[in-house]
Amino acid sequence: MTNAIGISVHMGEDGAVVSVTGRIDAASASLLDTELSGLIEGGERTIIVDMGGLEYISSSGLRVLLAAKKNLKKVGGDLAIAALKPFVREVFEISGFLRIFSVHDTVEEAARRKGPTG
Amino acid sequence: MNAEIQDLLVLLQMICVIIVAAYFITRTGIFTEVLERRLSIRNRVYLILFFGILSIYGTLSGVEVLGAPINVRDLGPMVAGIFCGPVVGLGAGLIGGAFRMGMGGFTAVPCSLSTLLAGLLGGAIYYAHRGRPVAVKTAVGFAVGMEVLHMGIVLALAQPFDQALALVNGVALPMTLANAVGMFIFAKLIANLLAERQTKAERDSYHDELQRKKAELQIAADIQQTFLPKSIPPLKGFDLFAVSCPAREVGGDFYDAIRLRQDHTGLVIADVSGKSVSAALYMALSRTIIRAMASWHPEVSLALADANTMIEEQSDSGMFVTLFYGVLNEQNRTLTYANAGHNPPLLLRAGSNDFVRLMPTGVALGAASDQEYGEAQVTLLPGDLLVLYTDGVTEAINSKNEEFSEARLMETVLKVRGRSSQEIIREIRDGIRDHAGDEPQFDDITLMVLRGV
Repeated sequence: MTNAIGISVHMGEDGAVVSVTGRIDAASASLLDTELSGLIEGGERTIIVDMGGLEYISSSGLRVLLAAKKNLKKVGGDLAIAALKPFVREVFEISGFLRIFSVHDTVEEAARRKGPTG
Repeated sequence: MNAEIQDLLVLLQMICVIIVAAYFITRTGIFTEVLERRLSIRNRVYLILFFGILSIYGTLSGVEVLGAPINVRDLGPMVAGIFCGPVVGLGAGLIGGAFRMGMGGFTAVPCSLSTLLAGLLGGAIYYAHRGRPVAVKTAVGFAVGMEVLHMGIVLALAQPFDQALALVNGVALPMTLANAVGMFIFAKLIANLLAERQTKAERDSYHDELQRKKAELQIAADIQQTFLPKSIPPLKGFDLFAVSCPAREVGGDFYDAIRLRQDHTGLVIADVSGKSVSAALYMALSRTIIRAMASWHPEVSLALADANTMIEEQSDSGMFVTLFYGVLNEQNRTLTYANAGHNPPLLLRAGSNDFVRLMPTGVALGAASDQEYGEAQVTLLPGDLLVLYTDGVTEAINSKNEEFSEARLMETVLKVRGRSSQEIIREIRDGIRDHAGDEPQFDDITLMVLRGV
């Protein structure tokens, strides 16, 4: 099986946009964790995770996102999520994470940040 | 011609003695202390004697090569100084120098002095490296420089100057070469030794890491096993069975069947985020809290809301647990449930081929504070079947990366719907195994089947 995960970071005016592609499972979640923790430690307060190219996310991946969100909240920042594919959206929906994350259809929309979506 | 070959043979013999001496001393336990820079006084004395004797050998083995007398008297003290420090270098230099002094001759003073200096300067280089190993080329360069200095001292101190100049003219090149070769042998052997030690240290640490990881996996598996129920209570009018098979790296799945008040049993299936020890500990915590809340609150929604608050307070680093909790009333055959972000259990009614999903009524436990959980109720008549599972079931993949999927799970259940809960679970597990083939099991596989009878 392919464990391929692709992570790229783009520093925009409205914060960092982290684009994740491929699969986030138990094995690859730590890579995303390192990236997000690095950004937060580096002083980034607004992070948008672009999941337009993400095919799969496991509970380990959700955990990394939740940890990043909690850490950002502590320092007055926030993490938003954009462009969920159907499978990944279903994972968010079932776990209830759609309610606790601010989830948007596009990165542009997330950048305007409207707060948590229902 | 014959004489030249003879000379070369003698030189070769000298080199052989140096190699043997170098090999011998670098393989002793004393030399381990040298490499680790923690020489005891006693071992310093041994090393002073060894390199002092090597210096004496260098004097005695001095040969005429191509008409010029050459010796490797300086080698012992140089090696002693550069690799064992100033004290050993000076000691060996004193021995070698004193021996040379005793032999007399017009170069006695400059030659003895040079040998002493060889030990001291070697020690200075040792000192200047401050614990870093001396490179082979540094050591050889030092040997060359030392012999040049040796020649300079002879020219400066030996009388008459004409004779000294003639001698230096003859021996400068061969002696420098001989000492450089000798130093190269020592330095190379010691460099190899250091490299070997490093490789071994890396191998050992890799091995330790592997052992640690293995122990960790075992501990996690043990914790998880300890917190699963030992047996499932018998139910009136229902056939309940459950099983959890952990992945090699456990994923914190658990199930529970909790006897509450008269005719009421709490059913739990849950999946903790993450892997290994952290997941197992979180599973133990969650199970304990759920058990306590289940006994405390008759209402499932309140039980989950309070459990969420308690678990959330303990949730560092984003840990959470998806959990389905239902209370089965054996009297009126109702199941009242709340679902905290868990994969919807599948309900198959007798006489129907369509599954009903018991959808989430709230967020996974521990993910966010102050959550409310809705509750819902279903009635389970004889022949009705409820299949509860974790994502290890539906996300088990085969070599083509295809998941077992909810669709295959439903298909399997439909085929064996008339059997006992235990048999249905066995069929599902066989189905997963057939699907996955040789692909390793990545996540815990946990199943609970409740059948109305």
